[in-house]
Amino acid sequence: MALQKYILVFIITAAIFATAFYVATRLDSRRLADIRATQESVSIDILSSETQFALLGNLDCKTISENPILSTELNSLASRLSVAEENLGATNAEVIRLKKQYSLLQIKDYILMQQVSQKCNLKPVFVLYFYSNQGNCSECGPAGDVLTYLRTQYPGLRVYSFDYNLDLSAVRTLISLRGLQGQLPALVINDRPPVYGFKTFEEIQTLIPELKTLSTTTAATSTKQR
Amino acid sequence: MDLGLYGIYACLFLGLYFEVFLFISFFEKVPPVKNSTHPKRYPGVSIIVPCFNEEKTLAGTVESLLAMEYPKDKLEILIVDDGSKDNTRHIGEGLAKTHPQVQFFSKENGGKWTALNFGIPLSHGELVGCLDADSFVAQDALLEVVKKFEDSPKADAMVPAMKVLGPKNLLELMQSAEYTFGIFVKKTFDNLAAISVLPGPFSIYRRGVFDKIGLFKHAHNTEDMEMAFRMHANHLHIENAHTAVVYTKVPNTLRKLLKQRTRWSQGFLQNSSDYSHLYFNPKFGDFGVLVLPFGLALFLGALYSTGYLLYRVLSTLITKGLDVWASGVFVWPTMSLEHLSWFYLNTSMLTFLIIITVGMTFIAILIGRKIAGAHFGVGTLLSYFMLYGFIAPLWLARAAWGTLWSKETVWDSSHK
Repeated sequence: MALQKYILVFIITAAIFATAFYVATRLDSRRLADIRATQESVSIDILSSETQFALLGNLDCKTISENPILSTELNSLASRLSVAEENLGATNAEVIRLKKQYSLLQIKDYILMQQVSQKCNLKPVFVLYFYSNQGNCSECGPAGDVLTYLRTQYPGLRVYSFDYNLDLSAVRTLISLRGLQGQLPALVINDRPPVYGFKTFEEIQTLIPELKTLSTTTAATSTKQR
Repeated sequence: MDLGLYGIYACLFLGLYFEVFLFISFFEKVPPVKNSTHPKRYPGVSIIVPCFNEEKTLAGTVESLLAMEYPKDKLEILIVDDGSKDNTRHIGEGLAKTHPQVQFFSKENGGKWTALNFGIPLSHGELVGCLDADSFVAQDALLEVVKKFEDSPKADAMVPAMKVLGPKNLLELMQSAEYTFGIFVKKTFDNLAAISVLPGPFSIYRRGVFDKIGLFKHAHNTEDMEMAFRMHANHLHIENAHTAVVYTKVPNTLRKLLKQRTRWSQGFLQNSSDYSHLYFNPKFGDFGVLVLPFGLALFLGALYSTGYLLYRVLSTLITKGLDVWASGVFVWPTMSLEHLSWFYLNTSMLTFLIIITVGMTFIAILIGRKIAGAHFGVGTLLSYFMLYGFIAPLWLARAAWGTLWSKETVWDSSHK
């Protein structure tokens, strides 16, 4: 029995662990870089639409309604952010930063789509969904599931989901503007007063009579909690 | 990170440490390839064949012994019938009548260890071996063992390389890969002087071993393991003749497999308790410091990992079920082409560590296949990697339960 061998094996095993940790961390960094790049791309798209809107005072309504690039990209972003959050944890500083950027992009998309709807005489349905993933909202999980299911039934529905506890002034302003009282989950449908608590699929259908008029070919953003 | 996951990392660290130790130890002394030399001397050898209800395989087992390349006057075969209720006795008597090398004895049923102890005093060989009546030796197996004894005068007992006889169904294929992994492990333990079991199929002892430390004991129905423990406790040497091949039948149903492995695993725990003074004791070399403690740690680690996995799967299912119940809707996980991107692959540290651990096991099986000249295909490997992790925890849990409640394991008809 050689003690040196026991020590050598310990060092090798520790080195294998360190290598696995290093590779996993590197890949997580690449994931975050990938998310940053997608966010930048979405940001440029939104800025481009805003600029076009400012220059012409109008947009090609047909293109916008038939080619919802922003929504698709936001969806992809949401899905990628979920993966990053699962891998790195919800409290990871970089994840929180990306989540803030994502929330900003959602708000910008929401504002832009409101303007487009006005100019193009569209009647979309906007749902702002506020949740918490700090363990103090037992109804947020089922509520998110119902909204996701709703989107599969009504792809024309535009749902924007926000972490109520996110420390971001734009989100706080949105919360304040919509008069939210802190009870979660909360839904803001178009410009109506907030609706609190879990609502079943049928209850939401009753709350949003406009659903009947929605197109069934347009994608919308995910309602998964991020 | 959830606390339970730290336990999984600890188990993986132990598992990897053990595997790295095995690989380093194996390459310290790479086993020589088989050669065609003959022993300088042919010592007298006695092979005891204990049997209980082995009418289907006994004749084949004895015929494989008779077919071995070894001087007939130097080899005696003692069949000891342990009170069989089938036609074993008739077959054994027939073999004794037609082959002068074969002797047949019958006794009341008492377990394999009593059959061995019955045969040993009646044998005359300088080397005394055992062969389960459902195992079959290669023609040169005894020559290889004798050569190895000649090369290692210090060796007191020799274990062969075991292969599965004609594996057909998934369970047998799984065990075939497992036995091949065992060939690698046994050779490595040989390098460490830490072989932990003297299996029933063709383990050969110098007669002096029984004079020094006595005959077999009941030992919780694992007399072969207890004998190895006792030999280590008395500083006797066990070595491995990797070129001596023996083929054995393995359980072909889950029920039989669980019964056999529960007995082995429980035997390990109970013998460990009986020989607890060997644990962490440097006086007993790597057997006391590495093989026994790691055997126990990996036993417990496998149970913990399975428990944790079950807990995670069940809690996820329950949470999802409650969500579906509360929301009244079921949302299928979305899958698109985008999800095929590397981004969605699980590249956590845990994944890499599992891949490395499984990869090292895979390499060990390939080494075992090479050193023992075993042949098997992808199906065998797949059966092992797909099934073993799910089945082994069943017998480990049963063995732990049996040990906790001091339940005795029972023999099956194969005695193995």
